[in-house]
Amino acid sequence: MTARPGPHARLTGGLLLWYGVLGGAAAWAVHLIAAWSLDELACAAKSERIAGVPLWQALSVAVFVPGVATVGSLLVATLVLRRTGQARAAGAHDRALERSRMLAVVGVWANLLFLTIIALGGVAVLVFPPCQG
Amino acid sequence: MSTTTSTPPGIGRDDLARLAEHWDEPRSLRAWFTTVDHKKIGRRYLVTAAFFFVLAGLSALVMRTQLARPESGVLSPQEYNQLFTMHGTAMIFLFATPMLFGFGNFLVPLMIGSRDMAFPRLNAFGYWVFLFAGLFMWASLPFGAAPNNGWFAYAPLNQDQHNPGLHMDVYALGLLFLGISTTSGAINFIVTALKLRAPGMSLNRVPLFVWAIVATAFMVVFALPALNTDNALLFLDRRFDTHFFDPGGGGNVLLWQHLFWIFGHPDVYIIVMPGLGIVSAVLPAFTRRGVVGYPLIVLAIVAISIVSFGVWVHHMFATGLPQLSYSFFSAASTIITIPSGIQIFAWLATMMLGRLVLRTPLLFVIGFIVTFVLGGFTGAMFALTAFDQQVTDSYFVVAHFHYVLLGGALFPILAGIYFWLPKITGRMYHEGLGRWAFWLVFTGMHVTFFPMHLYGLFGMPRRVYTYRSDLGWDVGNLISSIGSYVLALGLLLVLIGVVHAIRRGRPAGPDPWAGDSLEWSAASPPEAYNFPVIPRVHSLHPTWDERTAESTTTGATKDRILSEGKRTLFTSELDARPERAAQMPEPSFKPLVLAGVLLVFFTALLLGAYPVAVAAVLAVAATIAAWLWPPRRPDEEIGIAS
Amino acid sequence: MTDRGGVVAAATGVEALTTEEPVGRPTGWWGMVMFVATEATLFACLLGSYFYLRFQHGPVWPPDGIDKPKLLIPLVMTGVLVPSSLPVVWAEHGIRRGQRWRLRAGLAATLVMGLSFMALLVIEYREDLTHFTMTTNVYGSLFYVITGFHGLHVSVGLAMIGWLLAASLRGGSFGSHRHERVRNAAIYWHFVDTVWVAILFTIYLSPRL
Ligand code: HEM
Ligand SMILES: [Cu+2]
Repeated sequence: MTARPGPHARLTGGLLLWYGVLGGAAAWAVHLIAAWSLDELACAAKSERIAGVPLWQALSVAVFVPGVATVGSLLVATLVLRRTGQARAAGAHDRALERSRMLAVVGVWANLLFLTIIALGGVAVLVFPPCQG
Repeated sequence: MSTTTSTPPGIGRDDLARLAEHWDEPRSLRAWFTTVDHKKIGRRYLVTAAFFFVLAGLSALVMRTQLARPESGVLSPQEYNQLFTMHGTAMIFLFATPMLFGFGNFLVPLMIGSRDMAFPRLNAFGYWVFLFAGLFMWASLPFGAAPNNGWFAYAPLNQDQHNPGLHMDVYALGLLFLGISTTSGAINFIVTALKLRAPGMSLNRVPLFVWAIVATAFMVVFALPALNTDNALLFLDRRFDTHFFDPGGGGNVLLWQHLFWIFGHPDVYIIVMPGLGIVSAVLPAFTRRGVVGYPLIVLAIVAISIVSFGVWVHHMFATGLPQLSYSFFSAASTIITIPSGIQIFAWLATMMLGRLVLRTPLLFVIGFIVTFVLGGFTGAMFALTAFDQQVTDSYFVVAHFHYVLLGGALFPILAGIYFWLPKITGRMYHEGLGRWAFWLVFTGMHVTFFPMHLYGLFGMPRRVYTYRSDLGWDVGNLISSIGSYVLALGLLLVLIGVVHAIRRGRPAGPDPWAGDSLEWSAASPPEAYNFPVIPRVHSLHPTWDERTAESTTTGATKDRILSEGKRTLFTSELDARPERAAQMPEPSFKPLVLAGVLLVFFTALLLGAYPVAVAAVLAVAATIAAWLWPPRRPDEEIGIAS
Repeated sequence: MTDRGGVVAAATGVEALTTEEPVGRPTGWWGMVMFVATEATLFACLLGSYFYLRFQHGPVWPPDGIDKPKLLIPLVMTGVLVPSSLPVVWAEHGIRRGQRWRLRAGLAATLVMGLSFMALLVIEYREDLTHFTMTTNVYGSLFYVITGFHGLHVSVGLAMIGWLLAASLRGGSFGSHRHERVRNAAIYWHFVDTVWVAILFTIYLSPRL
């Protein structure tokens, strides 16, 4: 933390912040499209398997992977919250700090929201038989 | 500290004179057609959208007159079909969104401390296209050729063999034409909010109204293409015998419905979101404090605009989807209520913690909360599938969405009109008149639409031009019709109030409400250049903040006065650090010409004059090429390596 | 290991995390990016409609005895269109250094490649039209409308490139300080290229899967 970060680290950090803010949203979009089209296509083809894999397992992947991505995003957002909190406590006051902090707050709550939606989808996969109309 | 002897306090007379010289447009006919001033364009959006609202509202009154008594003969079934379709289509596409874009146009540059939009000529173009597209659609009504298949125009009834004549061609082409305006306006809002914010206005200091407009604009960018695709395919089906929605040729009618609702559900939020932004902008002035939980409201705005894309299937549950697919979407439908709830509770908390100043705008905000929450409540009832199946296509649905739309769009718009009228016209409205208008609108609204829940539950279907008297719906319908006249009277009082303010109102001064955002730091009505000195923003409530005020007086600096040329300041995307002073475009006829050529194009398509349409396309290309043609500059200036 | 740890620490330090990104883009760039975003959504809707109609249609696709699309011409078209982004990039880099000749040469090359693409599209259509048309069935409608709509976009892109070329031949238009329009047209052209790959997959390859 003593050395100033190079341009590469700065770019990564700047993008990391956005992953913390919008990662959950992106993961949810992937989850929705993947789970929906897998289910629709398999059922329309009157089969409960996709390329040999049972449909419910394929669907679980479409829940689990985005879920993990959202948790990662949540962790990044909390990290930003902590780092900016520490810097603030150390007396730093600049716009970029406050702006990142605000975005991190938005990120934490947004990720919780999207994690809930994805988790509800996971529950549905466990509860419903995949092709019942 | 900020006043050193070398900088004069505030801004000099010569600077003001130069600013006026560069920015003022003469009062001439030519200037009227060529203006690129976001305030004039915003005003035009407001007036034009209000005009379309009057047309759509009159259509509704005629319908209510027809329905006041059983088996009356004011309208034929065909006329009724056209009226409810034009009413719905115009209210959604020609009133709600353009009206809110009008507020956005007038206010966004003022709120972010800029002198215009990012693309002023594109802005003018967007307005002309909106005007022409609206006239294009309404002009079909006197010819008896107006759209007649409901505002969502379901297939297969929208197909040529079921619905001959121009009706649905007008719908498809009119909405495609209008889409050009909506899309260009949305892109303009996004870029303006990203690049033209006053220095210091980092993302955590952006007014909630601007957040709402930008979120809306993003929704438009990603939702409207679905509607455009739908309408383009419809037009091809009708005119060029393709088979997208035609089961006879292997097509599928459900494709229309899916594409429509991929657009349609976000559109509900496209309509309501700026209204919610207006509420967040009005509240601080009448509670004397900032809205509680700023980051949470930003969260709500962002989350709603994203999740709204993942719920469309709930409009289509009757179509035999696997239960599991359906539940991926209903998870989103359930969760989207949380951010909406967050906003409502934040506003309630703001009102509880603040000192209420009960003026007309606040009355409309309270009316909004009551109505919108009731609408949300009946909406939650639809989540019960069995109930939904029971009331689908009944008047219960009509009641529900009027609560949501009048609550979520009309009431905030009326609040906004009273709130910003002093800024727009420089004159104060008559408070007594305003209160009467509020109570009439509020009463009229509930008297009209509440009974619809009941006779909807008793089985009255929507979209019927009349009903038999033995079904027991007479009394309810009569009450609804009376209510609609009361509502109309209230709206008439709003209009009278506006005219009265313009004619007789007392001068308002720059800041009649002691508001918090930057538009209240500008004159009323604002100068052509908005701000003599572009402020340096130090907080979320810049007009309440000493340091920001000082930055435009004693702390004024050359780089924020920018009086040499028609210039404004571009700043960086997230933290609004100054980047460069940019030259803004002069007035031009080209936006009007381009919109006019497009009108020719769409009219030619409608009438089947395809060679004319092709010629119009070439004219469009030529106009755009001329519009963007770079001026010739010396090689040293543009930087040519020798 | 320590080195990598240092990188991670740097990237997750408060200074890196509060770096402003994106930053410093011109308004025209943002405008074009948003325009491309909405256009891309339009193509996503069209291609989504293709798959929706296909899977709702039943097992035989293309239907009604239409052959699966032949691949030779479309692959040549891909070979012409996708690399055509390179000269634009080269031209753009040139004009940023004030080298006008690179701008002119690069744009001309792209123009030629784009026009060849359009010529190949015409050849492709002439062949296909002998078997089925837009009105034959929904497959025909999808085929011609999607490829035609893309062809329209290529034409618009070519108009932009041609316009840039004309302006740069006149002189006094672009240089190391003024190249925003070149950049924006280039973004559009890359978009048109990328969409073609999605269309190639959807229209030509997916029926064979
Ligand atoms: C100003 C007072 C209004 C009255 C008296 C009114 C009345 C009506 C009536 C009578 C119908 C037809 C119901 C049927 O036959 O199914 C209707 C439909 C509709 N209204 Fe309104 N309305 C009003 C305002 C609005 C507003 C402000 C909006 C939207 C912003 C709106 C949006 C719609 C829509 C979307 C439909 C459905 C059209 C269709 O079935 O396709 N209305 N309204
Ligand atoms: Cu919906």
